[in-house]
Amino acid sequence: MWEKQYAEKAFDLIKELERSNESIPEFQDEEVRQILEEVKAIYEENVAQAATISNSGDKTLWPLLNYRHAALQRNKRCLLAYLYERLRRIRCLRWEYGPVIPPEIKANLCEPEINYFNNYSKSLASYMLSIGDGEGIDLTTDLRPPKALYVEVRCIEEYGKFELEDGEVINLTKNSQHYLPRQQIEALIRQGILEHIVQ
Amino acid sequence: MSLADVRDDLNISDEDDQNLSDEEELITAQKVLENLENAWLNEQNCPDILPHQTEMLELMLGQISHMDENMKSLDKNDFRFIAHKMELERVRYIITSYLRTRLKKIEKFTKHILIEEDSRDDEHKRLSEEETQYAREFHQGICSHFNQVALQYMPPNLQGTDEKQMIVRPNLLSHIYLKAKKDVASVVVGADDEEVDLVAGSQHIIPYQLISDLVLSGKAQLI
Amino acid sequence: MEPCELEFIGENTIIGVIPNFTMDPIHLISGSIGPFRAGLPVHVPLWLAIHMKKQQKCRIVPPEWMEVDLLEEIREEEKRSKFFTKMPDEHYMVISKLILCNAADDVPSAEEIRTKIKDIFDIRDAKLRTSIKTFLQGSGTYAKLDNLTQFEIHTVRPLLPHALDHIARYQRAAIAAERRTTTMSNSGFAGSSGHNSFFSQ
Repeated sequence: MWEKQYAEKAFDLIKELERSNESIPEFQDEEVRQILEEVKAIYEENVAQAATISNSGDKTLWPLLNYRHAALQRNKRCLLAYLYERLRRIRCLRWEYGPVIPPEIKANLCEPEINYFNNYSKSLASYMLSIGDGEGIDLTTDLRPPKALYVEVRCIEEYGKFELEDGEVINLTKNSQHYLPRQQIEALIRQGILEHIVQ
Repeated sequence: MSLADVRDDLNISDEDDQNLSDEEELITAQKVLENLENAWLNEQNCPDILPHQTEMLELMLGQISHMDENMKSLDKNDFRFIAHKMELERVRYIITSYLRTRLKKIEKFTKHILIEEDSRDDEHKRLSEEETQYAREFHQGICSHFNQVALQYMPPNLQGTDEKQMIVRPNLLSHIYLKAKKDVASVVVGADDEEVDLVAGSQHIIPYQLISDLVLSGKAQLI
Repeated sequence: MEPCELEFIGENTIIGVIPNFTMDPIHLISGSIGPFRAGLPVHVPLWLAIHMKKQQKCRIVPPEWMEVDLLEEIREEEKRSKFFTKMPDEHYMVISKLILCNAADDVPSAEEIRTKIKDIFDIRDAKLRTSIKTFLQGSGTYAKLDNLTQFEIHTVRPLLPHALDHIARYQRAAIAAERRTTTMSNSGFAGSSGHNSFFSQ
């Protein structure tokens, strides 16, 4: 039945995942099903042969039995490695995008993987909430050392007067440079009026 | 342990401190921060998970929320406010980075860490209660996913999830950089039992396992 | 550890500034700073000094080792010495970078100092690379790293420890193989004797 070697499909599954440039490629539903079928078939052959051995006492078939068992284990190992690596990438989504998976990525996950993500997300959230006196700490932000409350910015579009929280009014003219509180001007950076000057 | 602190510029009363019983040890916020910084550096550079600094963490988080509260009355553009605020962001980073580093290890070596943790008595647990719960849920999540997608369709003798080869273990013999904080005599540094004396302040590269006890006892710092 | 983290740690260094304002002491968690008196030097952490400088609230007093003649001496000594010499500050790279980027106007001969520091780093970096090569060709798994700064140690990370981990793995496999063939053999090669002093005296 198998022209090819045992467990070749399962090995391909990992290789494909490793090669893929996408953060999470589509779940290989059909391949997984085929691997599980191969496992079932090998197992059934072994069961049948084990029966023959115990009936006839013919020990010459033992090595073949062992060989098939090794193939079963290799299939299992490759398949679980595939699932495991995908779960690792799925967890990264939680740290990158928060508790909601972007739809274009979600389309690549199978149902149990979406469940896994939701449970992981919940588990992480309740852990983070448990730190400190009930206030909790969000560990998914501030991934890099804080650089400054203030940032240096250049004005790339004429904006005019801008009032800071303390009442100070600054004039944002094109090409002017300022050292301003990060929080208060983040919106202006997003709108493309100011740009962050990186040294 | 409680914080003995200088916070007069933020008008934090010292009443709490006066109510302490004599046995309670006082520690300054400065010392707590120093301990946390060292714990953070150790954790980041260590292949194994180190004992959780629950007490230091709680003291510092308490200090932070105190200060947050007291800073509300300050002018946000006041230099004093900015200095405190900048420092709090730095402290917060150390804390979050420390906890993240531990979570990463827990996620990677889950089963190994849980087995080790089960074998330790209460005095020597390395994970906080919350981390232990997180680790268990995490392990459960992976096992049930494996079952749901693959194992339940496999023959009975292949359905197990606790085989030895499925346990990911840290390489405790991996090389680390170390700075001796105290003089330590006769440290074994090689496979042939070669020994050297570590002088306080000296730096070394060495397999972690050979000096793990020095890190745990605070005689050496990973860098 | 990443460069931004090493910078973060270096920013804790205490440094002199001359403020242009007057203010009572501030009790930071990491220690009290001030009182601030306009025109009088005071010590603050580097992260705060850089902020004050950007807000034009101070001049920075460069550390005393940021001086041309002294750096020249250090450079020559580093060239002469087979081993690593002791740097004037554990965080000399981070400190000089931050000060020269943000307060070059407070540093006399800033350009010359920048060049000298780069020279010193390059000499040490080359030395470090040669040492590593020798070390890896030997059979040791342990070495002293005296006088190397955190920044320098981490420029070779994770390469050095990683390479050593692999070598150690082969050695363990070889030792296991040897045990299987000879029960009483003393010709082990996992020893680190004589191979641990490439980095320091």
